[in-house]
Amino acid sequence: MIGVVSYLAFFLTMAGILAIAVLGLNLQWGNTGLFNGGVVAFFGAGAYGLMILGGRPEAGQFGGFQLPFPVALAGGVLLAALIAWAVGILTLRLRHDYLAIATFGVAVAFESVTRNAEWLTGGAKGLRGFHRPLEAAIGDPFLFSLAFLAMVLAFLAAVYLGLERLVRSPYGRLLRAIREDETAARSLGKNPARLRLAAFVLGSAVMGLAGGLYASFYAFISPQDMAPILTFQIWAMLIVGGAGNNRGAILGAVLIWAAWTGSGFLLARHAPAEFQLYTGTIQYIMIGLVIVGMLMWRPQGLLPERLAISQTGGEAARRSASRDLTGRETE
Amino acid sequence: MIQNLLDGVLTGAIVSLGAIGLTMAMHMLRFANFSYAELMAIGAYVALVFDRLFEALIPAARAAIGPLSLNWALAAALVVAMAATGLSAVAIDRLVFRRIRQRAGPLSMVFASFGVALILRNLITLIFGLKAQLYSQEIAFAVILSRDPLILIKPDQVFVLAAALALMLIFHLVLTRTTFGFALRAVAENPALAQVAGVRLSAMVAAVWMIGGALSAAAGVFYALTNHLAPTMGHNFLLPVFAATIVGGIGSVHGAVLGGFIVGIASGLALQIMPSGYVPAMPFLIILAVLLLRPHGLFGEEQA
Amino acid sequence: MRPKALMLAAAALAALAGAARAQECTVKVGVVMPTSVDWGKPLAATTQWVAELINEAGGVDGCRVETILRDTQVDPKVGVDAARALVDLDKVQLLLGAVSSGVSMPILTSVAVPAGVMQMSCCSSSTRFTDLAREGGTRGLWFRTFATSNVQAALAAMAARDRGIGTVTILYKNDDWGQDIAKLVERAMAGAGVEVLGSIAITDGQPSYRAEVAEALGKGADALYLALYPKEGISVVREWISLGGTTRFIGTNSLKSDEFREAVGLKHLSEFVGTDTASPRVPSAANFVEAYKARFGTPPNGPGLANAFDAAAIALLAYHAAGRDAKGADIAAKVAMVTDPQGEKVEGTPEGLRRAIELLSQGKSVSFQGATGAVVFDRWGDVSAPGVYWTFAEDGIRELGYVPLEEVDAFVASLN
Repeated sequence: MIGVVSYLAFFLTMAGILAIAVLGLNLQWGNTGLFNGGVVAFFGAGAYGLMILGGRPEAGQFGGFQLPFPVALAGGVLLAALIAWAVGILTLRLRHDYLAIATFGVAVAFESVTRNAEWLTGGAKGLRGFHRPLEAAIGDPFLFSLAFLAMVLAFLAAVYLGLERLVRSPYGRLLRAIREDETAARSLGKNPARLRLAAFVLGSAVMGLAGGLYASFYAFISPQDMAPILTFQIWAMLIVGGAGNNRGAILGAVLIWAAWTGSGFLLARHAPAEFQLYTGTIQYIMIGLVIVGMLMWRPQGLLPERLAISQTGGEAARRSASRDLTGRETE
Repeated sequence: MIQNLLDGVLTGAIVSLGAIGLTMAMHMLRFANFSYAELMAIGAYVALVFDRLFEALIPAARAAIGPLSLNWALAAALVVAMAATGLSAVAIDRLVFRRIRQRAGPLSMVFASFGVALILRNLITLIFGLKAQLYSQEIAFAVILSRDPLILIKPDQVFVLAAALALMLIFHLVLTRTTFGFALRAVAENPALAQVAGVRLSAMVAAVWMIGGALSAAAGVFYALTNHLAPTMGHNFLLPVFAATIVGGIGSVHGAVLGGFIVGIASGLALQIMPSGYVPAMPFLIILAVLLLRPHGLFGEEQA
Repeated sequence: MRPKALMLAAAALAALAGAARAQECTVKVGVVMPTSVDWGKPLAATTQWVAELINEAGGVDGCRVETILRDTQVDPKVGVDAARALVDLDKVQLLLGAVSSGVSMPILTSVAVPAGVMQMSCCSSSTRFTDLAREGGTRGLWFRTFATSNVQAALAAMAARDRGIGTVTILYKNDDWGQDIAKLVERAMAGAGVEVLGSIAITDGQPSYRAEVAEALGKGADALYLALYPKEGISVVREWISLGGTTRFIGTNSLKSDEFREAVGLKHLSEFVGTDTASPRVPSAANFVEAYKARFGTPPNGPGLANAFDAAAIALLAYHAAGRDAKGADIAAKVAMVTDPQGEKVEGTPEGLRRAIELLSQGKSVSFQGATGAVVFDRWGDVSAPGVYWTFAEDGIRELGYVPLEEVDAFVASLN
């Protein structure tokens, strides 16, 4: 019984960390309509930032400052925000494809740095040796895992409440206004570029927070964590859960992560032996089908965006609710 | 140095072929298509199947053409692959992207293309396995052009470059000399106006996919001819191809061609200025440079 | 729907039948390996085969070993989740795996060590593990049968020296193993009086390696050192040969594959010298090759198969010595009893395993002679091993020469 609880705590910790990243993406995409194709870079910035600031010193390596956990975590978040700011400044004035491609490129470049800059990131063998907060004080691994879960859930709740408030604030309404009709927003004297940049940076900082928690959970980070599949997983969670809806984002994170790990569990046990080699491949195809199917038949996700704005004309409301974002229609 | 330049031109030719269709599709349908590079892999693998088939059916087709490792069977398979890949691109659009276009905006399509790329790549893995495959086991030797500095070139490289340039020229002529070409450009520039003028938009969309698919298939086969086939080959070209479209300016066919060569040459020369491990980030650095200096690319037009 | 249901039913029946035949109790062992990648699958199959052999030889403390195989997808998140589920839900006390260091490490730090479960990997090569063990971070629960890359680096340098090669250029896979071995080779070559003209990283998933190959070619070295996996190896070596590069290659054991031999072509590999830590000149290694052929129909020509065999066999024998109710730390404590140089020599054959189980039951220690010879772990869970030179032949791999452990150690010591 304690085993089930222990695994559940572990599962929820990971799902909670991923959910925080999904919330960050939701601010960018769901609320502002920005496509971030390099989630993993911002997640990784948080993780590496934390490890470099909070890790133990090692020969021939920069970093290892052994700063206290909250400071190191904040440093990681800041690093993620800085990268986002630089990318945002360059691309947010342009049409949306540029952001998607540039962020995708950032992820490739970031992975490249983590793999090669040994003096900074430890190279391909990664960074380790971070003392998890309170691990020694709590002692018992089981109690520690529960405490860690509680911390992750507290962060998740804080991010959720913060973003909910933000979305309901005049600022949040502005973001949606820009998303829906930039020209109209501009005509009201608003500066869409600055608002979008702020949303992009804030969302990336939230992803950095998730990355920091991830690295402290494993007490290890390596370029293998920087694979593009993470970006895809985070996106899948948001699309399935419901873009624009923070509760949907969390639901999506839990569901997709459960499906991902659960299908591995089932395929390992029940798939015929000759298919075992391809279970990963089959999993990718299934998840790809879920995404594409979702976009085709239920683009609003499981929990659609709740419209905070009162709208007259049922048709307009329905139409707007069934669209998860804006953009010019081409056909 | 000169060797790197030469090799960069070859990689550039392949990137250019891949970028032409992408830049058109991105401009016309207004979304960054992350599944586009997978068309290269589809083309290469279709060619593999037909190459084997033709070789089995007509033993004479196994004869190599001149000094190339290309034989008649593969040359025929290339044509089939171009047609088949073009048709698959149209089919993917009909099945997935058109429906999403009708229901949601372009950004949904970006993510859908993520999903499509994942499905295509893994389907290829499922069918052909993860193993690297080759059209021909034989290794084609390079010819020494100069000993000091050492410059080597493979006959296959020359052929690939010539064939890529020929395909680009044909496409250029189609675009500038035929009614169809004018219609295509009109649609790309202003879909609404072109429709008013009587251009059938859906036919033009299909044409773009068909052409893009065919050119990508050629790029895939040319790549596999000088390297090898692997399910991830398309994915590996994704960033270079995107970089080429940004360098050239999204929507500009000529820009994409030039951009492809720039990306190829820059990657070839990258080793001169950075350790080899960082080379994969080169296309990204090019993107950054363009965004800093000339955000709309060399030939791109101002538009938000 | 129906064929699937039938298949499930058949599988269930088979499982029932199997259970009825076997011992009454079972001991669950977790296997976390990347079964969804081409080189991971045979490693998992080898591990499961060892469990079958142990079961036929009497099982762990009279209990049937049940291996539960989970795919890591080479993704640390997925691997850690799988390990966690195995430890928490299946209550395993022994984890075999993972393969990549980037997956093994988080499993070790966030699952095995906190839960007090023993972890034995066949193939993780990162020096990070030794560092962690030195600091006490593994609590003695970590072992690996993959000898540190030192041995292969030393062999490569000796090979170059003995063949009169004056200069080499290194091409290495840009991952933890490759980065590590490239540095070691550079040092060893210098120690052997061989000049290293360049060391070039080959990063996965790049459209073309032409620039890297041209760069290497420009160095004009006598020989090329290859620390690559077959996939990039094929690309790089074909390119190299087509540009007229020398065919004097020195390569690591990772290239020991039919895929590489076939794609490059035997005629270009006549001067290839491979190094390996596995398969020492002992009958047990040859027996492993024969037994493997009998079991799988192909020779064990993939990276790490011999190491995977030994990892599983040693861990399961230690489990037997510790008893069916042992905790991870108890099993880890018994590893020394299985690999005791003073003990009776036992092999990884059905008879050898039966004898080992019998002796261990009597409280006597054994010296396990595995597929990689007589494995002995140091305090940090690392192994050292003798070396062997090999090359490609018509029917697979041919052995060229054997370098005893003492000679390897002496060379390594001469570098310091």
